[in-house]
Amino acid sequence: MKASEFLSGFLKVVESGLRHLVRKRMTLRYPEFLVVPAPDELFGFKPGEARDTNGLRGRHLLDLDRCTGCRLCEITCNGISGAITMVKVEGQFPRNKRGIFPSIDYGRCVFCGLCVDACIFDALFMTDREELAEYDRAALLYGPEEISKPPKELPVKIRAKRAELILDERRGAHHVQRKN
Amino acid sequence: MSYYQLVPGVYVEELPEKEGKITVSIGPQHPGSGHFRLIITIDGDVVVDADPDPGYVHRGEEKMCETRDYIQNIPHLERPVVLDSAGIQFPYILAAEEILDIKDKVPEKAKYLRILLAEFNRVISHFYFLAIQAIFLGHSTVLEWSMADREVLMDLAAMLTGARVTFAYFVPGGVRSDVPSGFVDQTLKAVGYLRSRMKEYWRMLVDNPFMKMRMEGVGVLKAKDAIELGAVGPNLRASGVEYDIRKVDPYSLYDTVEFHVPTYKEGDTMSRIKIRLDEINESLGIIEQVVRKLDGMRGPVRHLVKGAALRAKPGEAYARTEAARGMMSFYIISDGGRTPYRVKVDTPSFRNMKLIPVLLKDVRVADVPIVFWSIDYWPVEADR
Repeated sequence: MKASEFLSGFLKVVESGLRHLVRKRMTLRYPEFLVVPAPDELFGFKPGEARDTNGLRGRHLLDLDRCTGCRLCEITCNGISGAITMVKVEGQFPRNKRGIFPSIDYGRCVFCGLCVDACIFDALFMTDREELAEYDRAALLYGPEEISKPPKELPVKIRAKRAELILDERRGAHHVQRKN
Repeated sequence: MSYYQLVPGVYVEELPEKEGKITVSIGPQHPGSGHFRLIITIDGDVVVDADPDPGYVHRGEEKMCETRDYIQNIPHLERPVVLDSAGIQFPYILAAEEILDIKDKVPEKAKYLRILLAEFNRVISHFYFLAIQAIFLGHSTVLEWSMADREVLMDLAAMLTGARVTFAYFVPGGVRSDVPSGFVDQTLKAVGYLRSRMKEYWRMLVDNPFMKMRMEGVGVLKAKDAIELGAVGPNLRASGVEYDIRKVDPYSLYDTVEFHVPTYKEGDTMSRIKIRLDEINESLGIIEQVVRKLDGMRGPVRHLVKGAALRAKPGEAYARTEAARGMMSFYIISDGGRTPYRVKVDTPSFRNMKLIPVLLKDVRVADVPIVFWSIDYWPVEADR
């Protein structure tokens, strides 16, 4: 390799590196900011259109009034992760005479969402909540009452602001806070 | 006689020793090898013999397929190669559709969406390759860059499928969800952004004089050897053999998109990096074409297969695709039940493993990681 060739190649590398000093930072301060790329929609299955809605696959949401206790979600999950078991819930449910509803063990769930596909009664959805860490493994077992309520807002201290990815050819990819 | 302690104090394995040479065991738990053991014999500073020892992360994926039906098989089949989960799903779905006899019912839009996600995953996987190759070279700038640029496509894939890595997006009969609003614009922007970045990668890795010194002429694989050893994918093409399943045996709708197959003659470590940079560029071209076709395309994305239709007729099906690491193929035999009778997965990493002894011969110990990683060997994919 000639000295001139070496020097020009080296200088180009340094120039490429230095240009990034003035570019916007791509990394995200995670606990304070959270990227939610999907539209704010629940991940669910539309049997009529034979497709899923676009949404992040996170914690489930169960509609107790629509669930018939048909066990289709449990049967599907049995071959995948075995996270769903049916449990009995006290109370009167006109569509669900036996009163059995799915409970989900998030220590096992792989968030494939195929249980949502299996539900033909439009009762099971997925929310975009992915932060499910607990100190205790038993706390990861969510009963029907827990998954029938929308996820709780996180405490203000760790509540994330939603960020959006901006793709700019000149200034580089970076995040800005989402307005809505 | 030298010994290797597989489980310290419990299980000791004898390693063969040659006169005046030292046998070193790299792995199985080593950041530079993946979960895989590489036994090298060195004479001074030069490797005289390399012996790959796979099997540490064998999961029995093929056996697991026999107890699950064609839809339940989707999530666990992604696990062997999560970096390229669409790449391993593609041939499985094609073979499953053939055996379920719904091959002709797959909507056109679903076929394009499959190509789109497969190309996303090829780029994601190649960026990961570049990141690890760069850190083995001591080039931590490119490590950070490629890990960051992967995120762009992973976020877009999350927008489309709902998950960042394990998409579970392909199903027999089509794909699971439609193009979300704003996806086409965002993807075209991402393609523009990544194209502008590829020039910088080329400058940093290929035109960089230090990288040239490290990688040019190191770990050379000749075209004749590559063919004889059955190399697949970018490693084969880096040795000058133009062979890409997308061109040779077009599946899905790959014959309707335009791209060319890059090849290099040298077959050294540098050309295996160059070929992946070129492939990212080609994939971005495919993504752009497919997204433009999807823009405004109407129609269903999935032919819904219910209950009884998931029972296949007795028979067999074979499908092969070009995954990020090379030819990936599935062979499914059905005896008429709900579950497959036998599933055989043929992964590119397993085929490329045979290159390791040839490539590492006469390489210096300091170059072992870069030559080893340059073939993009993924132990979990090889062990299944």
